[in-house]
Amino acid sequence: MAQVEIINVTKRFGKTTALDNVNLDIKDNEFFVLFGPAGAGKTTLLNTIAGIYLPEEGMVKFDGEVMNQVDASHRNVAMVFENYALYPNQTVYENIASPLRSPLYKQDNETIDREVRRVASLLRIDGLLDRLPHQISNGQKQRVAIGRAIIRTPRVLLMDEPLAHLDAKLRNYMRSELKEMQSMFESTVIYVTHDYLEAISLGDRIAIIKEGKIVQVGTRDEIYYTPRNEFVAALVGEPEINIIDGTLVKENGTSYIKLEMKEELVPLPDNHPLTKTLCEYDTNEFHVGFRPQSIDYTFEYKEGYLKGSVYNFESLGNKAVLTVKVGDTFLRTLAPYDLRVQLDIDIYIDAPITKGLFFDSQTTELIGSYDDAKVNGNGTQE
Amino acid sequence: MKRRELLINIVKHVLLIIYALFALFPLFWMLLISFKSDAQMFNTTFIFTPTLENYDAVLLRTDYFRYFKDSLIVSTLAVIVSLLAGVPAAYALANYEFKKKEDLAFTILSFRFAPEILVVLPLFMIYQRIGLYDTYTGLIWVYQLITMPLIIWVLRGYFEDIPIEIEHAAQIDGYTWWQVFLKKLLPLIRPGLVSASLLAFIFAWNNFTFPLQLSGTNIETVTVASLKYLASDTVHYGQMAVAAAFSSLPAVIFALLIQKHLVRGLSFGAVKG
Amino acid sequence: MAKLTLKNVYKKYDHKKKRRKKDKENDYFAVNNLSLDCEDGEFIGILGPSGCGKTTTLRMIAGLEDITAGDIFIGDRRINDLHPKDRNIGLAFENYALYPPLTVYENIAFNLRAKGLSNAEVDERVKRIAPLLKVEELLNMRPAALSGGQKQRVNIARAIVRNPDILLLDEPLSHLDGKMRQQLRMEIKRLHNEIESTTIYVTHDQLEAMSLADRIAIMDLGVLQQFGTPSEIYDNPANEFVASFIGEPPMNILTTTIIHHENDFYFTFEDSELRIVVPQRYYDIVKDGMKVRVGVRPTDIYVGGPDSKGTPVRVAVFEDLCTERRIGIRVGDELVMLITEDETKYEQGDLIRLEVNGEKTHLFDLETGNRIQ
Repeated sequence: MAQVEIINVTKRFGKTTALDNVNLDIKDNEFFVLFGPAGAGKTTLLNTIAGIYLPEEGMVKFDGEVMNQVDASHRNVAMVFENYALYPNQTVYENIASPLRSPLYKQDNETIDREVRRVASLLRIDGLLDRLPHQISNGQKQRVAIGRAIIRTPRVLLMDEPLAHLDAKLRNYMRSELKEMQSMFESTVIYVTHDYLEAISLGDRIAIIKEGKIVQVGTRDEIYYTPRNEFVAALVGEPEINIIDGTLVKENGTSYIKLEMKEELVPLPDNHPLTKTLCEYDTNEFHVGFRPQSIDYTFEYKEGYLKGSVYNFESLGNKAVLTVKVGDTFLRTLAPYDLRVQLDIDIYIDAPITKGLFFDSQTTELIGSYDDAKVNGNGTQE
Repeated sequence: MKRRELLINIVKHVLLIIYALFALFPLFWMLLISFKSDAQMFNTTFIFTPTLENYDAVLLRTDYFRYFKDSLIVSTLAVIVSLLAGVPAAYALANYEFKKKEDLAFTILSFRFAPEILVVLPLFMIYQRIGLYDTYTGLIWVYQLITMPLIIWVLRGYFEDIPIEIEHAAQIDGYTWWQVFLKKLLPLIRPGLVSASLLAFIFAWNNFTFPLQLSGTNIETVTVASLKYLASDTVHYGQMAVAAAFSSLPAVIFALLIQKHLVRGLSFGAVKG
Repeated sequence: MAKLTLKNVYKKYDHKKKRRKKDKENDYFAVNNLSLDCEDGEFIGILGPSGCGKTTTLRMIAGLEDITAGDIFIGDRRINDLHPKDRNIGLAFENYALYPPLTVYENIAFNLRAKGLSNAEVDERVKRIAPLLKVEELLNMRPAALSGGQKQRVNIARAIVRNPDILLLDEPLSHLDGKMRQQLRMEIKRLHNEIESTTIYVTHDQLEAMSLADRIAIMDLGVLQQFGTPSEIYDNPANEFVASFIGEPPMNILTTTIIHHENDFYFTFEDSELRIVVPQRYYDIVKDGMKVRVGVRPTDIYVGGPDSKGTPVRVAVFEDLCTERRIGIRVGDELVMLITEDETKYEQGDLIRLEVNGEKTHLFDLETGNRIQ
């Protein structure tokens, strides 16, 4: 239950800058996700919010109050660590009870017992209360860690990649369970992950971080349909977006785009603000992104479709990824899981320009897209 | 296949039994001769008339218990001082970064390498000057050269094995640094604590050079006192055996008492398996 | 290249410390009556959780473990008693085992030289194999300078350069991460397409087996559960183990009691009000009060329309994943998941009715776990 502000925070370790002028405004009771690849600075930011690290520059504020001088134990935050950090010589019961036995938040035994059992039942670990951490599975340890964090109803609940060390099946399942529990968390939650499914499923808003800098902040639709740049576009979405070169060509008053793997020119829609923007751009070289979902294919010749060959076919569970080789370009598209296809056979694909995302070829930033139905404003940048 | 395995097993066991006999025999012999009278010492082996006269001579008619007490005081207090200073030192070495940290760590370890004989003469002169000769304080202090490096090195490893997140978690739970240390960390280093203490105690107890040179008549440890049993006319082997057997008792008792704390890595299982 | 046949193969490990008579009965079968028929040129996946016997099977084929009972044939040759080097197999195990002081070229050439081939022949073969695994540029480097993925390629190159009858791969990708793994998986698939060697690939990752293998042998606790093409295994799992092991997200499998109500049969569940209509094709075999396990994949459950039969239940979880949506329903202690591309957005607590795809619903026996046809 606190609004969290991170203002111009920079954190250095020796010569490395882990966080570079980070600014975030997290609303009260929001489920806020911090998403980025390994080493981006997510855990460092979480530790800074918790008070374990002090930033070299900048401030952390809870409800408008500067917290820099307040140490971790007094900030009333709770954290679920990536490696659980359970006290190894104490039982599950004692681990969960721990915050309520500390001098700052001490409660009487009756209250402690009642709360521990309430939390254990919520997380479905009531049968494990007498066990020691080394006697339970990873999935169970993770629930105990969550239990220890939520028992006090902290102002801010910090979760550091809680699902990282679970196998794929368990991760999917626990993610759904976490989603179910979301309404029960009465705190502002800041959740860190490198898995984009977790990010878009759980987050009210998502901040994408790379090498200590915030790249984009937005809702899942904003991040997915209007990614700020190619990095974000590639990060969110499985299989990864296809990005190819495109050159703008003007002929007889109409604008066309020449895509790297296609000989013919593709006409751009008239009367659309994006066409105008592209024409007036300082260069005519662009990068065009096509999500695999928007690429169509067929095994028989079809007018307007490009000819290529099947380079690879790979199962992704309930669907499959088809990699198609067109000239020197490789494009990924989706196919039904039970498609049986020979490698290297002919295949015809279509990448409709209206579904393309146009990026600046130098800065890699998003210029725009024709698919207005999905676009609801630009992603809010902070 | 099976016969071959059986044969290998038998050979293995036989070799192990032979080695066990070889290793344990001196201890057995020592106990044996402690019950033999001087008269029967050289003309009997395993069959003799046991007698308690050696025990009587050593324990009741000499100052043996005084020497025992001196050894106990010096060794125990030396270990305690080492723990008080060494545990925080080990924590610091494990968790903080500072200039020349590894140089400092190595220097501490190097105290164990230095031959005691080298330092004992200069120390003798210094101790005489500053009045620490033949005092408990003097011996306890110099014993730190033996006990502290061991404790710091073993415990540093244990502290390093504890993930830093456990401390963070405890801080966030609301514990002060001291409580984190006492309530959460110390239980985790307990196996290291007891094993290093035991070893340090044994080394301190067995030390000969330092008490020999740096203490005189006020303080005599059992090691130094055992010289007394080397009489100029005959060596009373039986009495020496009693002295030796008794000297080994504290270490054995200590080891038996702390056995249950020598549990495999208590940190095991705290983090993702 | 040749056929590989396993006939009633058993592997038993003896208990080392047979102190009490009781211990002797604890000897267990790591591989229990395994029979497989692999065609020439087939890519066979042996899949299962750790401890299922897959690596033991591979090692028996390779000759690194004794065969307790049964026979293994390569082509028409019975190879039980042959030394590994006489079996003409290529082996690539998960921990690289490249010789550190030798260059990549020499590592690959090692076996060939041991066989006594001339320098010219060795050179020809190595240079022919190298591009297939994209290691031509690495030939002069030493193992220490290679990345995990590169080491694995060299490992596999070394295995196939001898033109073995059978190629054995033991979890070659388990130490690699995400992208590298996908990349190398693609390479292995293309490689097999190129050289068409009979390949046995051991893994615990079902996605890997499903995308690479022509046929998959799933094992659990030493026993073969099913041997079939990926489609067969996915669409017609032989038992509950196979059904829940294959597919991500996994199949929803629940204990259900069937009831008869107004001309229809319904699946009912303990601690839940959920009721789902039983697909028509099972009407001949189900009875009122029958208890079975019912399994259906998340992609084969739908939100029913307004004229749907069955009781409505509350949405416990709604996940919007942009390209698809996942809905979770609490049934007792379980969370039943369904995946849809439908764009309707639900809130926690909304009431919906569920329907299942009749063709893709499976019934399993409550005790044995076997599929009921």
